[in-house]
Amino acid sequence: MGKWTRRAFIATGGLAGAGLIVAVGGNMYVNNAIKKYSGKGMGDGASINAWVRIAPDNTITMAVPRSEMGQGVYTSLPMLLAEELEVDMNQIEIMHPQPESPYANTLFLDPNPRRAYASYSVMEKVASFLPVVGTGGSTSVKDLYDHLREMGATAREALIAAAAEKWGVKAADCYAESAHVINKKTKEKLTYGSLAEAASKVELDFNPPLKAQKDFKLLGKRVQRLDIPEKVTGKAGFGIDARPEGMLVAAIRHASYVGGTVNGVTNEAEVMQMKGVKKVVLLENGLGAAVVADNTWRAKNAAMALDLDETANTLENVSSADISKMLGEIVGDDTKMIGHPEKHGDAATALSGAAKVIEASYEVPYLAHATMEPLNCTMVINGDKAEVWVGHQGGSSVRDAINAVTGIEKENIHVNILYLGGGFGRRIEVDFIKKAAMVAKQMPGTPIQLTFSREEDMKNGMYRPAVASKFRGTVGADGMIDAWENKIALQSVSNSFMKRLMPAMVEPPEKDPQTAEGAVELPYGRNNVSVQFGQLDLPALQVGNWRSVGASQNGFFSESFMDEMAHAAGQDPYEFRKKHIQKSDLPDAPRFLAVLNKVADMASWSTPLPAGKYRGIAILKSFGSIVGQVAEITKTGEKEISIDKVYCVIDCGRIVNPDTIEAQMQSGIIYGLTAALYNEITLDNGQVVQQNFPQYEMVRMNTSPTVAVHIMEVDEYPGGVGEPGTPPAAPALTNAIFAATGERVRSLPLNKLGYTFV
Amino acid sequence: MELKINGAIRNIDVEDNMPLLWVLRDELNMTGTKYGCGVSACGACTVQIDGVATRTCTLPASAAVGKEIKTIEGVAANGQLSAIQKAWIEHQVPQCGYCQSGMIMAAEALLDANPNPTDEDIDKSMTNICRCGTYQRIRSAIHTAAKWRAEETTLQG
Repeated sequence: MGKWTRRAFIATGGLAGAGLIVAVGGNMYVNNAIKKYSGKGMGDGASINAWVRIAPDNTITMAVPRSEMGQGVYTSLPMLLAEELEVDMNQIEIMHPQPESPYANTLFLDPNPRRAYASYSVMEKVASFLPVVGTGGSTSVKDLYDHLREMGATAREALIAAAAEKWGVKAADCYAESAHVINKKTKEKLTYGSLAEAASKVELDFNPPLKAQKDFKLLGKRVQRLDIPEKVTGKAGFGIDARPEGMLVAAIRHASYVGGTVNGVTNEAEVMQMKGVKKVVLLENGLGAAVVADNTWRAKNAAMALDLDETANTLENVSSADISKMLGEIVGDDTKMIGHPEKHGDAATALSGAAKVIEASYEVPYLAHATMEPLNCTMVINGDKAEVWVGHQGGSSVRDAINAVTGIEKENIHVNILYLGGGFGRRIEVDFIKKAAMVAKQMPGTPIQLTFSREEDMKNGMYRPAVASKFRGTVGADGMIDAWENKIALQSVSNSFMKRLMPAMVEPPEKDPQTAEGAVELPYGRNNVSVQFGQLDLPALQVGNWRSVGASQNGFFSESFMDEMAHAAGQDPYEFRKKHIQKSDLPDAPRFLAVLNKVADMASWSTPLPAGKYRGIAILKSFGSIVGQVAEITKTGEKEISIDKVYCVIDCGRIVNPDTIEAQMQSGIIYGLTAALYNEITLDNGQVVQQNFPQYEMVRMNTSPTVAVHIMEVDEYPGGVGEPGTPPAAPALTNAIFAATGERVRSLPLNKLGYTFV
Repeated sequence: MELKINGAIRNIDVEDNMPLLWVLRDELNMTGTKYGCGVSACGACTVQIDGVATRTCTLPASAAVGKEIKTIEGVAANGQLSAIQKAWIEHQVPQCGYCQSGMIMAAEALLDANPNPTDEDIDKSMTNICRCGTYQRIRSAIHTAAKWRAEETTLQG
C-alpha cells in the first residue's frame, strides 16, 4: 500500500495530466487540484490516469471511489472503464482510493451529468475542489457514465501509442483486446503490463471517440459481480470486521430523549470495575457516554450499566400524536405553505366551482434505515495523524468529520472505506464518525472500534420524516382530472442534512427540491395543478435521506390519490393513467406510456384474476428512471393479505449491468413493502419507542413476493437504479388492497390498520 | 472453556455467559459471523451447532462446549465452495452481503436435514432478515443447490 507517492505520481503524471486535461477542458483550477491527488494504495505499476494502474504482471487495478453497499457499484463502474480500456472483468482488481479531487461526485452539486470530454461547470469545479466524494442519490453511474469510458478510452489509446512506437508502426495498425495490444499485420501481442510505463508518458493530442452502443462487449450484458465470491465465504470485510493490531472496542449510550444531552456519568468507578473495561469516555457536547473494553459484549454490558445524568431538551413532552397534529395544522393552513413547486392553471378556482370535490388526507410516519450492519467506525489517532476503517457512503465527509473533531489536517487522515452492510442514506451521515473520533482521541495510539448496539442505532436515527399530504381534486365531464391540489407538510431533509454535513451550503427549507420529489412533474395531463409544501420546524428530531427520499412518501401519496381519482371517475386505474399520460406534455411522456403499457401487459391487466386475487398499479419517475409496478395479492382473510407477485418495469435509459438493475428493483420493492407493512418510528414523550427488530419487523422469506422485472431498452443517458424501485411499491400494494377490500389506505404502516400478511 | 470450531479445538478464557457470537468475533477474530440485533431476531449470527442452525448472539458460549460448531469459515471444505455457496454465486444472491453468512448457514442446515425442500419448507426454515431483500434469489439458489447436491450424490453413489 501507499507506494504511489506524490513523486511517483508526478513522474508518471504525463498521461494523467493529458487524460485529465482532456477531461476537464484545460481548466487550471481543477488541474491544480488534481495534481494534489495522492493515489495512495493502488499497488505497484504505472498509473495511466487517476483511475487505472497497470502492474508489470498485467494486473489491472481500477479505482472505485464509490461505496459498495449492495448496489453493485464495485462492478458497474469497472465495467464502464473496462469497456473502453479493453480488459476482461476477471483481469480487474478493485481498490477504493482516498477521497481526492479526481473522484468528486459532481452530481451532488450540479444536477447535470458530466458529459464526455466536456469542461467542468462552476459547481463541478466546486465539487472537485472541496472535494465532495460520496455515494448516494442513485448517482454513481449517472455521474460517471461518460467520464469513466473516456478515462478508459484515453488509457487504451496511450497503450496503443506506446506499442506502436515500440513496433515502429502507426497506432492505426494496432488494436487492443483483453489487456493486450495487437499488431494487425504481424499478429504480435504485447501485454498492457509491458507497455504501461511507456504509456504513462504518452501525451495524447486527441479525444478518442467512445464506442457506439452496438459495439459494447460488456455494457448491457449480465456480468457477475466482483464482490460476490467473498460475500459467500465470510471473507468480505465490512466496517465492523476491521481488526487493526491492538484494537479495543467501545459501546455507546446516548441520551434517553431524542436530542437530549448527557451531562455526566455518576457511577464511573463502579463501571470501571467491570470485566474488560478500560475507560469510560464522556462525549463532547453532551452527545453521550462510551465505554472502551476488550470485547464488544463486555463494552455493551458496561455501557448499559452506566448511570447517566441527562437533560431531556425540547422534545420531552412531544409524542407522535402531537407531531401528527402539527402536520395536520400545516396542511390545513394556506398561510403555512412556504413553497409552491408546481403550479399551472388555477386549481383553487376550479375546485371552488366544482360540483363534487374529492378530498383525501394522507400521512406516513418517521422511518429508520435499520441497516443490517449496525453503525460502527474504527479509528486510531496517532499524534497529528489519523486512520479510519469504516463502511461509509462519503469518504470526503468522513475525513471532514475527523478533521472537525480532532483538528488533524485532512491530508494526514487516511480513510479506508470497507464494505457497507447496507447504507440506504444512513451511512452518508457522520454522527457515528464524530463519536468514534471523540473516543479515539481519548486513547491516542490505540485503534478503537465504536459499535452502536441495534437499540442505540434504531433510537438515534436520521429518520425519514413523518409527512402529511392533503389532496383535493375534481374530475371533469370528459372523465379527465380537471383540478389537482396537494399540500404537503414535513421537515426538510436537505436542510437538516446539510446543517450536519456542509453547514456552509445549507439552503432554507423552502428551497429543498427533495420535499416535492414524487409530488411534482407527474406524467399526467391535468388542467389545473397546484402542489405546495409547508415546513414542520422540529430541529431536535433530525431527519435524513432514506432510500428514495421525498419520492418515498410522495410516490405513495400521488399514486394513491391518482387511484382515488380513477375510482371517482368510475374508470379502470390503468386506463385512467394511460389517458392522462397521453394528455401529458412532459418530454418523456412517451417513455412513461411505454413503461405503463409494458407493466400492464406483463401482469395481464386486462385478464380478470381468479376469485380472491386482486391487483394494483403505480408508476413514478425518480432519480432519472421511470418505474411502473403491478402488485398482485390474495385476500386470505378479513384483513389478511398474501402479496403474491410484483411485476416491475424500469426505463433507466442505457443499461450497464441488467442483473444488477433487476436485483435493485427486487431490493427496492422489498424495502418499500417492508416500510408499508410494518415500519414506523414513534415518539412517546420525547423517547423513541422502537428499539430493535421485534418492534420494527421486516418482510422475510415467507412474506416476500416474487418480483418479475423487465428492463426497457432505451438509448438515452442512464438514470439511477438504487432507489427508483422503492416509491411505487407501497401504492401498488395499497391500490390492490383497495381493490380487495374497498378500504382506501391513507396512512402507513398497514399492520397498524389491522392488516396481517402471510 | 474448550470449543470445537470447524473441527479445530480452541481454548478460550471468558465468562460462561458470553454469547458465542462475541467469542467468535472478538476473542477468535472469526468475523464471518455477524452481529445484527443481539436478541436472536435477525439471524445474521447464525452458525451450526451439531448441524442445527443456531443464533449465537444470545447463546452462551458455554452451552456449545462439547458440541460441533460450524461457522461460515468452515463451509468451504479444502478451499472448495459448497454447492450452496456456488449456487449463491450462480444466482448472484448477495447485495450488501452482511446477512449472507447467516443465510448460508441456515440454508446448509436446511438441505442437510431436508435435501429437497419445497417452497413452504424454505419459508419455514429460512427466517433470517435480509434488509436488501434478496429472498427471491435465496429461494432459487436453495433449489439449485438441492439439485446440485442430488447430482453429486448420484455421481458418488
